Amino acid sequence: MAEFSATVYQNEFLPDGGTDVNAIVTVTCSGAGTAGQTGAGSAGEIIIVDTSGSMGPQTMAAARAAAQTALDEIVDGTYFAVIAGSDRAMLAYPVVQSGPGMVPMSPQTRQEAQAAVARFVGSGGTAMSTWLDLAVQLFGSVPSVTQRHAILLTDGENREAAGRLDTALGRATGYFQCDCRGAGTDWQVEEVRRIAQALLGTVDIIPSPEQMEGQFREMMRASMARGVADAQLRVWSPQGAQVLFVRQVAPTVEDLTSRRAEVNPLTGAYPTGAWADESRDYHVAVRVAAKAIGQEQLAARVQLVVGDTVLAQGLVKATWSNDSELTATIDRQVAHYTGQTELAAMIQEGLAAKAAGDEATATTKLGRAVQLAAATGNDEATSKLRKVVDVESERDGTVKLKRSVDRADEMALDTASTKTTRVKR
Amino acid sequence: MTRPCPSCGEQLADAAAFCEACGAQVGAADADLAGGPGGVKPPVVAGEAAPFDATFPTRIAGSARAPSGPRPCLACGGVVGPDGYCDSCGTKQPDERDHFREQPAPWVAGVCDRGLVHARNEDALALHAGDTAAGPRAVLVVLDGVSNTDDSHLASLAGARAARDVLRATLPAGLGTAQSRTAAAARLFQQAVDAAQAAIVDLTPDGSEHPPSATFAAAVLEGGRLVVGNIGDSRVYWLPDAGTPSQLSVDDSVAQLQIEAGMTRREAEEGPQGHAITRWLGVDAPDLEPRLCELDLDRPGWLLACSDGLWNYLSEPAALAERLRLAAADAGADPMAVALALVAHANASGGHDNITVALARVSPPPGHNAPDHARGPERESDG
Repeated sequence: MAEFSATVYQNEFLPDGGTDVNAIVTVTCSGAGTAGQTGAGSAGEIIIVDTSGSMGPQTMAAARAAAQTALDEIVDGTYFAVIAGSDRAMLAYPVVQSGPGMVPMSPQTRQEAQAAVARFVGSGGTAMSTWLDLAVQLFGSVPSVTQRHAILLTDGENREAAGRLDTALGRATGYFQCDCRGAGTDWQVEEVRRIAQALLGTVDIIPSPEQMEGQFREMMRASMARGVADAQLRVWSPQGAQVLFVRQVAPTVEDLTSRRAEVNPLTGAYPTGAWADESRDYHVAVRVAAKAIGQEQLAARVQLVVGDTVLAQGLVKATWSNDSELTATIDRQVAHYTGQTELAAMIQEGLAAKAAGDEATATTKLGRAVQLAAATGNDEATSKLRKVVDVESERDGTVKLKRSVDRADEMALDTASTKTTRVKR
Repeated sequence: MTRPCPSCGEQLADAAAFCEACGAQVGAADADLAGGPGGVKPPVVAGEAAPFDATFPTRIAGSARAPSGPRPCLACGGVVGPDGYCDSCGTKQPDERDHFREQPAPWVAGVCDRGLVHARNEDALALHAGDTAAGPRAVLVVLDGVSNTDDSHLASLAGARAARDVLRATLPAGLGTAQSRTAAAARLFQQAVDAAQAAIVDLTPDGSEHPPSATFAAAVLEGGRLVVGNIGDSRVYWLPDAGTPSQLSVDDSVAQLQIEAGMTRREAEEGPQGHAITRWLGVDAPDLEPRLCELDLDRPGWLLACSDGLWNYLSEPAALAERLRLAAADAGADPMAVALALVAHANASGGHDNITVALARVSPPPGHNAPDHARGPERESDG
């Protein structure tokens, strides 16, 4: 049985009249086991491969090999299916017309599925809403599957009437998780990131076909290691308090604030999806009514809940003090992740401004990003930023936009913008 | 055969005299206890309703809280979570030793509070309520652990509970004369003091240079009969709704000696020796004989036992009665609300010491008389 623990990092001291409490809660899972093997229902995996006409022969060949590698990684007994996606979604494997649309993995079904994938050729358009809808349908056809995960590979922009994808995304949100990968540089980071974020998955670029196999293997291994099918982060706050935001801040920045589901008037539940043996950090900010100097109160109980069982709890406190040495300190973790969150926003906004031709804004924002990346020790962001801008001063955040930038580098910076580094404790 | 406690519903052990959960006296306990070897059952007058029954139904299911159950938030009344914070407003709850409450019956309640200045709460409180043939009974015990002695917060609480457990037994009626009745009550109070003393001595660390010590004040009300005993400067007051309020206990203090020598109460109590006590419980106690006072109550009012954390600010019976009247005007006849209001008053006045307030709302019907002492062939029950 998986075990969870929660640790709170905060400065609980507020000045006279202070109302806002910030804390980083680190939740760690151990003993997660393997997906679908913990007796709490079966795991299901669906591989969705873009087979539209835009997939060139080289990319298509790499995609076939990558999908086959992913099939190798799926543990025997796991229910699975393969979808070929173009302007409509086709169930490539298993070959069925009705009944359950997923079959358990075995040496035989693996071989059959790999043979089906080998026949993929690119043709037609790109209608991602139909891919997501078919995945929902397939997962739904096997009720014993309670842990649902998909891998989505695309190489192009969605070509559908506005709103279609969002509607389909709404149907899939909270039902299955999806890691997304973009091949080449003709896809839209913002669009695919939206899918990945809604479906609690990762997003990344696969700039060249030879990297595809490795990425697919890694994604599928990670998914198979998630033995805890579904967990919620619950945040209790006192009567009259306001939860300002709840963000996952490590390993990536994901704002969960708007995804609150009410458990009771004082408690909200935020989805966190499946867990492997891993650690995630959450930034919780709560506004409470100010109390008298010397008083202490609880600002939040942050709990990790599986089913209805609380497996870990962290207490976020507030104590009012007139000792300015106590109240003026900002907790290192809070400061670090506040910087990392701003870093992600600066990169995304800077690149958006650059794409829109607003060079002044792009220069300012990416300059700030360089400054934040250096200050928070995010070396990956620093090296990716340096491929897009020429840095004059890291400390002052003064940069110049590079004259010619490899589009893949820019997209890599964009997709990696939400990745954070931890504070050295 | 087990049976549920009529007060809180907890299952009782076989032949239990008291509920383990809420402390209520149950079933045939009076007879079992008082009718032991050498004892005689107290008289039971058939058909005579207990004088308080009409006013205070003391056997209400759920009226008493088990001490280990969830406690209410001191700020908003919500439920306190296992982590010590209120589940509604998040207020941190004080340590249970620093602030606790007891309410064994709707008409009997007490609050024991650390106050604002002292680092720990060395006061203690133990209450009991039940029914006897003579009418509803209440036991109020207050011990004030002396500061700067080792573990006096543990000793005072153990002492208070030990005394309360002795005083749960029905007051002995004696041989039928007022004199023997008083002597029998005196023996029961001496047993209570001795039990408290034993508990305190038991908790005295070996070789302690500052052995724990405490005051003692107890009141037993049974029907209309009230017996009060004290050692030290914790007090018992009788505050009738109409008539003159009075302090029933007599302090064992330098201030009291000075008052007896002619000094004004104010001068003496606020002087340098105002809080020096001349007698106490503990291994170094000079003697252990409580001062006793007996009274038959014939009118509604409030019986109050308190530590000096309260009377520091309201020493004169008239002043105390007035403050209580104001509190009761807001809170009604709920003794818990009134006790909380008095504790709040002491804290608002500075909270310089630990504060304990125990109250019983006494409400004999008009025309009630003290029980007939000569009734039945009675003997004292403690042999």
